[in-house]
Amino acid sequence: MIEQQEIATARVGDRREFSVPDVNRSHFVQYAGAGGDFNPIHHDQNFAVGAGLPTVFGMGMFTAGVLARVPSQWFGPQNVARFAVRFTSRLWPGDTLTCRGTIARVYDVDGLTHIDIILEALSQKGETLIEGEATVRPWQPS
Amino acid sequence: MAAIRPEGFPVERGKIHEFANSLFDDHPLHHDLPLANAAGFRSVVAPITYASAASFFAEDGGMRLPEGVDLRFVLHGGQEFVFERPLIAGDLLTPTPGELRTYEKAGRRGGTMKFIETETVYQDEAGEVVVRVRSTIIQTGGVVEG
Repeated sequence: MIEQQEIATARVGDRREFSVPDVNRSHFVQYAGAGGDFNPIHHDQNFAVGAGLPTVFGMGMFTAGVLARVPSQWFGPQNVARFAVRFTSRLWPGDTLTCRGTIARVYDVDGLTHIDIILEALSQKGETLIEGEATVRPWQPS
Repeated sequence: MAAIRPEGFPVERGKIHEFANSLFDDHPLHHDLPLANAAGFRSVVAPITYASAASFFAEDGGMRLPEGVDLRFVLHGGQEFVFERPLIAGDLLTPTPGELRTYEKAGRRGGTMKFIETETVYQDEAGEVVVRVRSTIIQTGGVVEG
């Protein structure tokens, strides 16, 4: 878990970051089972090589799901109003995945504090895998 | 694939636990039912990207792609989730697919890249919108770009 924070105390420039070392193909297979993406390019070595790739690569939604932990664990999963990602590079077996978020804006909508977070997922090579954004606001179960 | 009845996308506690674990997500609201209840939730809260698992319950396997798309040369360009409220175990969501929007761009290394944008709106049993999911798929036409 990354360190949690109350929405009311959020300030522009606040950051959170964590890393997942040595991602491997079993992680891709576990996510396939959990998430339902059975495109063979993510688990079948022969299929991947046949498509001209060195090996299988991670689903974009696997990396995105790990990145979503930044706003979700920071402020609570119930409080995330929007999460958007653009995929820019692939995650390969053996990579270390680093996910980070920085608060870009804190503002008020109808008396509710809203927080915009800039998100990034990177490999150990410093390559950006995903650029994303999230918006957080308080949500109460009725 | 066999069809599930009643139709729809059931949000399930065990599936949430499995999905969160596959993302190394140990937030207790995904795993701890008594804690979720104590926080005022009927059941555990789904992870942010959980609607991706809706493909399990779609009769077409969730692959809403036009005819002739070659899976070897498909890239996922982007994804967006816009929530009216969190998904909670026990929800039965009905997906309504929006229009497919397609357009083409020249690839950086030659060839044409075809962009396919979809939106799916998930409503609960009361007919209230819970989440909108927008997805962009890119067909690279044989040139797999990074």
